[in-house]
Amino acid sequence: MDFHVAFPALVAGRLLLAFTSLPEVLNNDHQLSSPLTSYSRLQEGVYLFQQGFDPYSGGPFRHSPLLLSVFSTVFPLTRFTSPILWTICDAVAAWALVQIWRARQNVASSPRDVLIAASYLLNPYIFLPSLAFSTSSLENALCLSALMCASQGRTSAALMAFALLVHLSLPSLVLMFPLLLLLLSSPVSHLVSPRPLSANLRQLYPLSAEFAGYFVALFAMATLVCGNTSWVEKTWGASLLLPDLTPNPGLWWYFFTEMFDHFRPFFLMVFSVHLLIYVAPVCIKYQHDILYATYLLAGVLATFKAYPTLSDPGLFLSMTALFPETYSYLRHPIVTTLLHLHASLLLPLFHSLWLTQGTGNANFFYASTLVFGMANGAALLDAMWAGLRAAVGELKGGYEVVQE
Amino acid sequence: MPEQLPQENSIPRNQISRVVHKLKSRLRGTGDRNVSRIRRRRKMTGLLWKSLPTLIVLLLSAGYVWMLAIPIPQLGQRTYIDENALQPGQVRTYWDWADVHRADRYLEGLEQLRNRNASSDEISQHIATEFAKIGIPASTQRYSFSTTAGETNGTNAYAVLSSPRASGAEAIIISASWLSRTGEGDGTPNLRGASTVLALANFLKGYSLWAKDLVFVISDGYLDGMQAWISTYHGASQPNMYAEPLELSSGVVWTALNIDYPGHSFSHLGVFFEGLNGRLPNQDLINSLYVITRHTAGVPVVVYDHLDPYEFPGRKAELAGLPAWLPPAVKDNDEVVEYGYRAKDVLRHVKYQARGQASGVHGLLHQFRIDAITLFAVPATGPHGFHAIGRIVESTLRTTNNLLERLHASFFFYILVGTHMFLKIGMYLPSAVLISTALMFGGLKAWVEAGWTQEPVQPDSVAVEKKGPLDGLQTTWVTRCRPVLKPLGIMLAMHVAGVVLFFIISRPWFIANQQVYSLPVFALFSAIPLASLLLPSSDTPSSSEAPLPLLLRALTLCLASTVTSIISVLNFSLAATLAFTLGVPLSLATPTRSPLLRLLKTVAYACLGLGWMVLAPEEVKHAVWNWEVLGVWFAPFVCVVYTPLLLQAAIVSILPP
Repeated sequence: MDFHVAFPALVAGRLLLAFTSLPEVLNNDHQLSSPLTSYSRLQEGVYLFQQGFDPYSGGPFRHSPLLLSVFSTVFPLTRFTSPILWTICDAVAAWALVQIWRARQNVASSPRDVLIAASYLLNPYIFLPSLAFSTSSLENALCLSALMCASQGRTSAALMAFALLVHLSLPSLVLMFPLLLLLLSSPVSHLVSPRPLSANLRQLYPLSAEFAGYFVALFAMATLVCGNTSWVEKTWGASLLLPDLTPNPGLWWYFFTEMFDHFRPFFLMVFSVHLLIYVAPVCIKYQHDILYATYLLAGVLATFKAYPTLSDPGLFLSMTALFPETYSYLRHPIVTTLLHLHASLLLPLFHSLWLTQGTGNANFFYASTLVFGMANGAALLDAMWAGLRAAVGELKGGYEVVQE
Repeated sequence: MPEQLPQENSIPRNQISRVVHKLKSRLRGTGDRNVSRIRRRRKMTGLLWKSLPTLIVLLLSAGYVWMLAIPIPQLGQRTYIDENALQPGQVRTYWDWADVHRADRYLEGLEQLRNRNASSDEISQHIATEFAKIGIPASTQRYSFSTTAGETNGTNAYAVLSSPRASGAEAIIISASWLSRTGEGDGTPNLRGASTVLALANFLKGYSLWAKDLVFVISDGYLDGMQAWISTYHGASQPNMYAEPLELSSGVVWTALNIDYPGHSFSHLGVFFEGLNGRLPNQDLINSLYVITRHTAGVPVVVYDHLDPYEFPGRKAELAGLPAWLPPAVKDNDEVVEYGYRAKDVLRHVKYQARGQASGVHGLLHQFRIDAITLFAVPATGPHGFHAIGRIVESTLRTTNNLLERLHASFFFYILVGTHMFLKIGMYLPSAVLISTALMFGGLKAWVEAGWTQEPVQPDSVAVEKKGPLDGLQTTWVTRCRPVLKPLGIMLAMHVAGVVLFFIISRPWFIANQQVYSLPVFALFSAIPLASLLLPSSDTPSSSEAPLPLLLRALTLCLASTVTSIISVLNFSLAATLAFTLGVPLSLATPTRSPLLRLLKTVAYACLGLGWMVLAPEEVKHAVWNWEVLGVWFAPFVCVVYTPLLLQAAIVSILPP
């Protein structure tokens, strides 16, 4: 199928879905939007802001002041504009994914393009949150745009997109180091032929400085919009301090509902630092193919971040389409698929048993988030294995590969 | 890799460490750690692979045996009251013969209306007037449903008695439908049930101890009236429903009692509890009612309307549902009778729950998180009447009035096998899960089989070194690729066909002329697997690409297993029925060589998957009505999940291997 026909067709299909009554049904679903990305909270914040109240004085609003200013002035959120904006986000993200693929293959176009775009636009983990108008779609689009620009070597654009992403979602900072390394190396696949990183690491300093510049500028803009810095605690602070324990498909919320208060700071620190400890090992081990390291760290974020929605694992799974050279080395793809199938059926089911039917309790939903965590973990571990195993190649004559 | 340590150095001096060392070397092997690990892993996978067919058969039979064992007398535990606030049967009841007399007067009025064949409006007006005479705010509500089977309309009457002691944030519903549940709503009027509610309204108003609002509802029809009333009460709208808004409102409803008293008198009080889509009420409510009925009113209680065989020694075998041809020695055996009686209860439960049907009007309230049951006065010539049922309801209302929070405590998953015995979730759930595990293993086995093929080895290379016979039959295992897009496409197409099937059977023209259309639709959808023969076969040889039927089998079995095990938490009866009907048939869905056998298998799967359309036309009509009016997803589930799975099995069988 021709990419120039299929891509608009897929996007048009998404737009049609967004204009049905589905968004209203999905809007407040806990799996599709977290307190940090919820559409109704965003609307609430915009309303309060327009009425002259400080939206950050209460608990519900945790979006960035930049979103607040955009959606209360130039781009009002209505029943007509929101479907268009969120469809554009998905289209941009899918387009960026295709561009990353092309940059990785070093071609202008390939027959696989349609499949790559479809793997993003038809991924239920991606389009359901997007139909619920969760701002995590926006974050995904920014993340993929940053990666696209980095793959194409457009340094400033990549850093700007990434600064905006980190501004909107602080945990994405985990991706910073591999993104900078990606700017210094190339996105071309070296999984099969590993070699040490050839980049000059001194160049990291100017890049980091540029990133910091953009980031501080965004910070200043946000503070200007808000009038004070109270937004920092409400937005960035939320993903570190976990003030809102609304259930979500991640692993944090239940753990911290059960926690005694005097242990809370310690475990908040442990959970946050835990996200960071993966960065260095993954970047060192996969230094020959930094794009793959970024992909793995996106998987880490999807599994372990504080307020995930289904978009985060969706991003990781859709990015899998970029690395077909690892497929034959996956150890248990069917098990991972079945785990995901079970989890994606159990999550809404147990959610409704607990909160709609009232026959279950919080432990039910927690159990299904554990299954989901296992599914994500299985996908991540298998991707790590396959990425390294690809270098060894096909084995003949009863040899086996062991990991020491 | 670590170097191997010299053996002499590692030999320990004393006896114990020598034994430990021996054990270690036995467990870990003596050579290189990695080599022994690989050997161990290969041995284990080899063992697992060799015993996998046996394991699957074992799991399947264990699941089926467990299902049959659910009613055995040794299983189950005594019921108990979990919520301490309930305190059932601890109050003195005040319902008296004067109230019975009043109920008789109300009954006379209602009987006159029935004899005159009065309209719904007239009846509800009469009832609302009676409520108003008592001094309780009352109103009526007209409603209509338009369904493929035609229009249904009626008028509900209801009254709200505000709580004298609290703000009315919570409420209890006491209801009776105009038609009794006898024969699943065959048209028997529930006059005494309605009279009981009216008399209770008059009686309960005289007491100031109610901490919750009491809402009295006399709904029209059997299920339709209450559906209109309760969904309007909760502000839920339905596209095919028109209902007047309610003039009176109250708070959150926690519990509800529905009174069904169709006969002249009653001998036993039965309890019906299954709700829409398999939702059950909290077991505490049922247990409280049993305690109260037995100890406050002295009325014998039963599950549903199944009379206890031990009360009627002469009719033991008949009441336990044992077939007449059994020898007397078996029929008189107490264990067998108990098994039969329990099996009867379980089967009745499965019949309601699997189809997502409400076993009474109470079941409609479950969708709004209200724990509700129906008290069914089993019709008989005596000895109980208004006096007993009034006291039972009064005491049960006092019990639910005690609640400080909703009934909770995960007491929602059970199978009642008797009035005082029940099975916890762990006692019955594994039966369905075992069968679905067997399906999953079968699917994974097919997946592994699809990934490997045997190829003859070139005689000059490896074969010479091996000691096997050198007759050219030496083979080696090589991997082949498994293209999943095609089988996934077929599966998707089958489920889409299921959606089309559901669309067809819920059309008015289909429901109106079922005898005419059933057979052609059945034939059309049974022919779908045959159409798969027209699929272009791939050009690549089977040595490099897995055959389509094997891949389809693997994915179908995995999907069937997933669906079964996940449904089991939501609606065990449906999952058990699925496991029962899919377990063995899907395990037998293998690619076959003989053309005749292939065709026979396909026909068998088509009949199993679609036979309901021809064999049970009434059931189809009923299920579609249930979907349209009550939102029971049994009909769409069968069309979109169950039938497609069997059609996929048919395709696996018909495709050439």
